[in-house]
This record gives sequence, C-alpha cells and structure tokens, in this order.
Amino acid sequence: MRKAGFVCRVAVLTLSGVFLTACVTAPREENLFQALGGQEGINVIVENFIMAIARDERVIDHFAVSNVERFRSMMREHLCFIADGPCEYTGDSMIDTHVGMGVTEGDFNAIVEDMMAAMNQAEVPIGTQNRLLSRLAELRGEIIYR
Amino acid sequence: MTKTNLTLFGSALLLLCMPLAAHADGRIKGTGGVSSISGAGGGGLTPWAVLTSHSTREEWGGSVFLTTANVDDFTLDVAGAGFNYKDRIEVSYARQNFTIKANDARISQDIVGLKYRLAGDLLYGTVPQIVIGAEHHSLRDPATARAVGARKTHGTDVYVSTARAWIDGIANRTTMLNVNLRYSTANQFGLLGHGGDDMGSRLHLEAAAGVFLTRSLVVGAEYRHKSDNLSALNEESATDVFVAWLPSKRFSVTAAWVDLGEIAGAADQTGFYLSIQGTL
Repeated sequence: MRKAGFVCRVAVLTLSGVFLTACVTAPREENLFQALGGQEGINVIVENFIMAIARDERVIDHFAVSNVERFRSMMREHLCFIADGPCEYTGDSMIDTHVGMGVTEGDFNAIVEDMMAAMNQAEVPIGTQNRLLSRLAELRGEIIYR
Repeated sequence: MTKTNLTLFGSALLLLCMPLAAHADGRIKGTGGVSSISGAGGGGLTPWAVLTSHSTREEWGGSVFLTTANVDDFTLDVAGAGFNYKDRIEVSYARQNFTIKANDARISQDIVGLKYRLAGDLLYGTVPQIVIGAEHHSLRDPATARAVGARKTHGTDVYVSTARAWIDGIANRTTMLNVNLRYSTANQFGLLGHGGDDMGSRLHLEAAAGVFLTRSLVVGAEYRHKSDNLSALNEESATDVFVAWLPSKRFSVTAAWVDLGEIAGAADQTGFYLSIQGTL
C-alpha cells in the first residue's frame, strides 16, 4: 500500500515536472516579420503577389486603374506592419482603399489564393503562411462589399 | 434504380447545372468539406455546418460522390449529389445500399437533405458558421425494419450544426471544429427504420475535428452519438478517424477507419471507409 502510494507520488511529481518544464521551455513564437524573412522576404512575397494578381483574370479588373508603384510600396509597408515589423503603415485605411470597388467574397478569396501562391513561390513554410493569413483575414470585413 | 443508374442520374443532374455553376470556385479549397453518407456536405458519418462545393453568395455549385464502408459483417455503399444555392441553401440526395455479408441481403434507403445557413462563416469574422438542416430517410426495403420492431420505415432528422476553422490553429495548421445537435428517432442511420419499443434519447450530439496538415491533406476524427431504441437489438455510437486528400477544388478522396459499434446483433463492427467526390 505504502509502496503504491510512493510510486503514485513519484508519478504525479514527474508528470508535474514534465508539464512545468513544457510550460517554461515552450519556445516563444518567432516574430512573424523575422519568420517571413524580414523586409527582404516580404518584398519577394509582394513581387510574387503582384505577378499572381496580374495573371489572375478573376480579380485583375479591380486593379486596372491602380498605380502599381504605390500598391507595391504600400503592400510592403502594410505586410511589415501587420507582421509586427519595424514599420508604420502610411497608406489609407482598408475601408477607404476599397470603397466603391465592389470587392465580393469570391474576389477576396481569390486574392487570398494569390497570396498563398506568392508565399509558396517564396518558399514560406505553411505554418508561417497561416500566421500571416489569419491576420490578413481579420481585414476582410473592411474590404468586401464596400 | 441500380447504383450505376443512380450515379449516372446524379452526374446528369450536375451536368445540367454546369452552366450555372461553371465558375463556382469563389471559396477557399476545403471549405465545402466532403460528402457525408447522408449526401449532405460534411463530414463522413455526420453532416457539418458547411455547404457543399466552393460557391459563394454570388454562385451556385454542386458535388457528386460515391462512398463505400466495409465493416466486419456489413457493407454500406452510397451514391449521391448535393447542390449549393448561393452558399445559403444546400439540397442533397443519397441512395444507401446496406448489405449483410452473411446472406447477401440488402436494405436500400433514400435520403433527401436540406440545409440552411443561418449565420456566420466557417473561416472569417467573429461568428462561426451556423446551419439548420433536415434529413428525410425513406426505406425502399422496409421488411427488415418492420421485423426488428421499428415503429416507422421513414422519418426525418433535424439538426443544428456549427463549425469554425482557425486559419492559424494547432501547430499553426488550419484547424476545424464542428458540433451538431440532432433530433432523431432513427435506428442505425434509418436503415432499420425509426422508433421502437425502448426509445432512447432523441437528442444526439455529434462532433468532428480536423487539421489541415497541408492545403490538400486533412486528418481528423468524428463522433456520432446514436440511440438504442429497439429492445431486441443493441445500437451504439459511431466514430471514425479520417484522412482527406483534396488535390484540387474539383476532386477529393477521403479514407477513414470507422467503428460503428454493434449492428443488428453483430458486435464491434469496424472497418474502412472510402469516398470520392467530384465538385463543380
């Protein structure tokens, strides 16, 4: 009986130790900006993204009157900002940018797919892709049907 | 109608709708799920709060599927189709052929499903996707159900279902959770009719979880509570562990290990499940 109690206590202590160690040593998630390869990595993604949009017949019309230079620099800034990088986003709000464009949920998803393709091309691991995509997804309400 | 005929029928129906659904690709791959054994977008053993195909509120879409489940003493073959109108209403149909291996006896059943999206979105915003649905079962071979003491040879299940996918979920993989609450008097998915002399709970909980290992590969598990309504036969809950491969928005293959518990006196019915789905 006593022996069983001892074994039990050791087991509980060991388990607690394992959990505590797990908590203490759980790696803090790397800063997303760094995980994306810093500004250099983001710039590659933005270039791939612009090319993917240019090839995407579903959405290219929305960009017909866009100034590509400004889109490029604002995207670089915005992604850096969203990924907790050392940037301020100096562009217009998402609502102001998209008002009157009539972006549908299908258009938004097409852009999401273009972003996935851009990140695949840049060989961004899927976990890092998802960290960025989940933050971009939060902007959807400010973008569609404006 | 034979299974082949049924499949042809389903395919023809979908072909007819092709012009309408020609570009129903507006949602992210996987958000339409696969086809459950009732024909409703799911899930395998249960429907989920997703509407089949990838159509958005501006589009129509549809899917056809073939499924086989092979457990120790029985096989279940299913063929069917689902239609999605503007990601708001789903109509589905499935023909189930249940075979008792020992004597090659067959029970055939039709299931017509209706699903309405009440609120929310699987992927976006603060509200998870919530649907209500109904599944009407009607036995084409009612003799067995009558023999085992079922009250009716047809019946309608009603369910509320909610689903959420977190893009950045477990281990930074997109992770989906689905919970259904079903009102049902069905015996063994309706294959042994509805109701009995020893009614169990009419409210059933169903749950499913899945993780996208990649954009094309999902692993997960499902649980479906079932009631034991017949004093003559024992009925147990069903579970499965699945892997689904979605190489494109057009096609998916789902393989699973299923545990259907005791069926018609045969205990521990476990085996494999395979489903292929084509989507427009």
